[in-house]
Amino acid sequence: MAKRLLVSPLRDRAAIAGVGYTEFSKDSGVSTLTLACRAVLAALEDAGLTAGDVDGLATHRVGDSVAPGVVGPALGIHDPSWHLDQFGGGSVSHAVVAQAVLAVAAGMAETVVCYRAINARSEFRMGQAASAGPEAQYQVPYGLAAPLQHFAMEARLHMLKYGTKEEHFGQIAVRQRAFAVKNPRARMRTPITLDDYRASPWIAEPFRLLDCCLETDGACALVVTTAERTASLRRTPVLISAAAWGGGASFLSGGHMDTTETAAARLAPRLYGMAGLGPADVDVAQLYDCFTYSVLVQLEDYGFCAKGEGGPYVASGEGPPVNTHGGFLSEGYVHGINHIAEAVSQLRGEAGDRQVAGAEVALSTAQPGYVLPATSALILRRG
Amino acid sequence: MDRDSREWWERVAGGELAVQECAACGTPRFPARAFCPACRTEGWRWRAVEPVAEVESWIVSHRAFGGAGPGTVVRVRLAAARECAMYGRWLAGREPRAGELVRAIFSQGADRTLVDWAPME
Ligand SMILES: [Zn+2]
Repeated sequence: MAKRLLVSPLRDRAAIAGVGYTEFSKDSGVSTLTLACRAVLAALEDAGLTAGDVDGLATHRVGDSVAPGVVGPALGIHDPSWHLDQFGGGSVSHAVVAQAVLAVAAGMAETVVCYRAINARSEFRMGQAASAGPEAQYQVPYGLAAPLQHFAMEARLHMLKYGTKEEHFGQIAVRQRAFAVKNPRARMRTPITLDDYRASPWIAEPFRLLDCCLETDGACALVVTTAERTASLRRTPVLISAAAWGGGASFLSGGHMDTTETAAARLAPRLYGMAGLGPADVDVAQLYDCFTYSVLVQLEDYGFCAKGEGGPYVASGEGPPVNTHGGFLSEGYVHGINHIAEAVSQLRGEAGDRQVAGAEVALSTAQPGYVLPATSALILRRG
Repeated sequence: MDRDSREWWERVAGGELAVQECAACGTPRFPARAFCPACRTEGWRWRAVEPVAEVESWIVSHRAFGGAGPGTVVRVRLAAARECAMYGRWLAGREPRAGELVRAIFSQGADRTLVDWAPME
């Protein structure tokens, strides 16, 4: 763990200069191309830039959205000097920004817009996307097909191994809803209690409806540029102090014997090392919450508490505020990028009623690594 | 079923539960793959194993997902090769218990023979 704790020359080289959203809904009524264009233009407007400034575009998708090669021309952005069309779901959401950091630091592009646009409720039901790849044949015929079932399997394992309780998952859902109540963008703004959680219907035990994220139509975009350039732009710069992605073993490949440890546990030392920071420095954390359990396991794997102690740690209420927008559980599921956008809002001090006082450092993370044995994450810092 | 896995499924159809065993270093592997992740060589032999496993985790689906309806799906680790974990339907009128030994039940699925799991007794 100690061998890579060198502060990286990439630390703070790039920054997020603008953030843009579309409305989050159950039915956008428009194409993913329209969503992408709206979010990209909103992010540029936020940064005080125009489409004419863009020389890089990046996204990730799983056959459910539009490539940079479509979005660019649709906005009159011709011949960008760098683009990325990353295959993958939540585990690569932050890797898209990580790669934009490389592009900007290497001078391949100066102004990259990273976006994710999905009609994950009205067109492409993300929650029903069956596992793909060579492992699916060993799962789908048994009725094990949806991501929520796989995470439920992992959550049960954690409960059996460490005594984690349903109430611990419930507390995550309740706490995030309380933040969503203060977030005008959030889709679910009615407060809930632990009793509401317990009364919520089972989907796949140990998960109830309130353990699950909200399939959402919507898009979000981020403008990534050099740190020097952000100094001349109109928003408070948010520096990308660390950007990492990496591995781990998937459940069915290579004898991974304890899946209560996710790929995030391997990535975390590298991530913190790049920033020269540790979990105690994190003022606010946006942790990928496709399901409540993924928050709990990341609190362990990103070092906020010891392995197995996620349940009691959640119950204690210690640690930084988590998912201050309400997360995918209550704001909406835009596959990772809205976590980064919320981190930016917090670090700029623009998060309104849900602002974490004095937030200087934020952690934002991708799906911790089930479907692919990979994850990605960012540490952001107010510039 | 893909090209790597066809023979595994054919063996299941014949009533045999097997894992691959690396010809060079003996490491068992499942699902079927050409390469041994331990020594990165391609050779293997099939090893029929006792169709007994230990329950590691399970879910109880309250609606249909994928190829099967609501019900309990277990994840088990083979008693003869704990590195090898498998999923299957749970065929019993009670919930599984963590760590209990279970036996494989070969059941006819929609397009192939499947491996499900039931209590030893
Ligand atoms: Zn070998």
